[in-house]
Amino acid sequence: MSSSTKFLTLKTNDKEEFVLDEAIAIRSQTIKNMVEDDCVSNVIPLPNVDSKTMIKVIEYWKKHSEEGISKDKLMDFDKAFVKVDQSILYALILAANFLNDAEMLDMICQEVANRIKGKTPEEIRKEFNIENDFTPEEEEEIRNENVWAFE
Amino acid sequence: MISEGRHRRPKQRRLRRRTEISREDSMGCLPEELILAILVRVPVKYLLQFKCVSKNWFNLISSPEFVKTHLDFSANDYTRHMSLLQYNALSTEIKYCYVTCLFHEPVIEALDLYCPMKNTPQSVQISGSVNGLVCLSDGFGRLVLWNPSIRKFKNVFGFLPTKMGSAWFKSGFGYDEVHDDYKVVGIFSNMVKAYFEAVIYSLKRDSCTTLEDFKPGVTYCGDAKFVHRKLHWITYRRRGWGISCIDLVEEKWGKLELPSCKEEQELKLGVLQGDLSFLSSNDERNHSDVWVMKEYGVKASWTKLYTIRYPENYKLVTPLFTYSKGKILLAFKSSLAIYDPKNDSITYPTVTNVELTDSITHATYNIDVTSYYSIVEAEICIESLVCPDLPNKY
Repeated sequence: MSSSTKFLTLKTNDKEEFVLDEAIAIRSQTIKNMVEDDCVSNVIPLPNVDSKTMIKVIEYWKKHSEEGISKDKLMDFDKAFVKVDQSILYALILAANFLNDAEMLDMICQEVANRIKGKTPEEIRKEFNIENDFTPEEEEEIRNENVWAFE
Repeated sequence: MISEGRHRRPKQRRLRRRTEISREDSMGCLPEELILAILVRVPVKYLLQFKCVSKNWFNLISSPEFVKTHLDFSANDYTRHMSLLQYNALSTEIKYCYVTCLFHEPVIEALDLYCPMKNTPQSVQISGSVNGLVCLSDGFGRLVLWNPSIRKFKNVFGFLPTKMGSAWFKSGFGYDEVHDDYKVVGIFSNMVKAYFEAVIYSLKRDSCTTLEDFKPGVTYCGDAKFVHRKLHWITYRRRGWGISCIDLVEEKWGKLELPSCKEEQELKLGVLQGDLSFLSSNDERNHSDVWVMKEYGVKASWTKLYTIRYPENYKLVTPLFTYSKGKILLAFKSSLAIYDPKNDSITYPTVTNVELTDSITHATYNIDVTSYYSIVEAEICIESLVCPDLPNKY
């Protein structure tokens, strides 16, 4: 490791600390902005991310920062990376959003989109905790508008 | 020595269990921006279902902003590009398959589309496709603006010249981004009476008008191609080939210059990765040059990508789509073809569930790539939520 390597300490909301190469940590636009604005003290607090999620995020960042890694290998890694429980995916999407890592956010949103394809409106309501505020007549009317899409 | 990503505190296991319990497994508290980021990645058919999730989701998915964002996303996602196929010029049957399948799979089943233009006196022509809308015309004054992904369409009648009855015509379809309007331009000609007229239909105005500054004097060849807010036609006059275009925002005519090369026998326009492109044929009809205008309107930016050599005599084809590593999709005689510049090869993806009609004998038969007289008409269409009209059904 070269002597110029700088390290940042990231502190998650459950008080865990992660020490990370700055070059890797600035994959997060949020952290990058803090570094560039010089408002980095010793420890960067990440109030919206817990340690379990941060471990996953760092795993992703390190893999995507590996020198000379092939596109195919990264694709395999990404595929395996998103094969996680709904709860972890949910935490990851919030973390990627807070950390402002567009590439990771893209990938996770795509995974969520793939998972909700083909689910019924009822299943979607349950998954996203949404109340059905249509009357049965209104819902029927919207269904009838695009009956074929439900076939 | 500090290792990267190392934990400093050993309480991890207990904490992990606690956070798991509090988290639950719901997407329930996602902010709207993230819901939107997810939904733009969902194909159209499912979004139509999701409209009944709640009033909020209904409004979200129906909003013009979302329709636009979803369209922009689809435009960059090749898995949402359909190739519309018309194998039988005498029927109203239009089929489709996904472009990525054509490049990746050896055998592709063409799927049926329920063409809203039925019972026409003649054939149905695909005038063009933009933003997921397709314009069909029957050559007798009727147009249909159709979004096959949401199965909505709008009928337009009276797309005709003002001073002549039936006439031969060429049409093109494009989008006026300044006025958020879809427009169809028709060039009508009656050679016997030497009369020409250009007519424009605007979806927003829902009316047809004659374009005043249209100065013919050239022959308009082939299908119009929409690039850079203008519709383009290959034109021919005594001095040779050219490109005429109409700006759909200003509704004014103009010209583009072709690269300086003299040997062309025939030219066909296409659009490759958003750039205007053409294929040219030589005298012997044994090869085609593929050209692309890399910087719109700049003659010097015309670039010859490569030369496709054909194994036999051929009919000039339309460049449809470029894919990774320069592979290019062509509508080649009676079949689709993929040219790979890397090894200078042409392959023919097998499309099933299609029948061809010989344009001379009208006999139908199964696909034969060597047939000279039957040609497949193809048009690239993006999946979108853009609605051509108020709700209608068929």
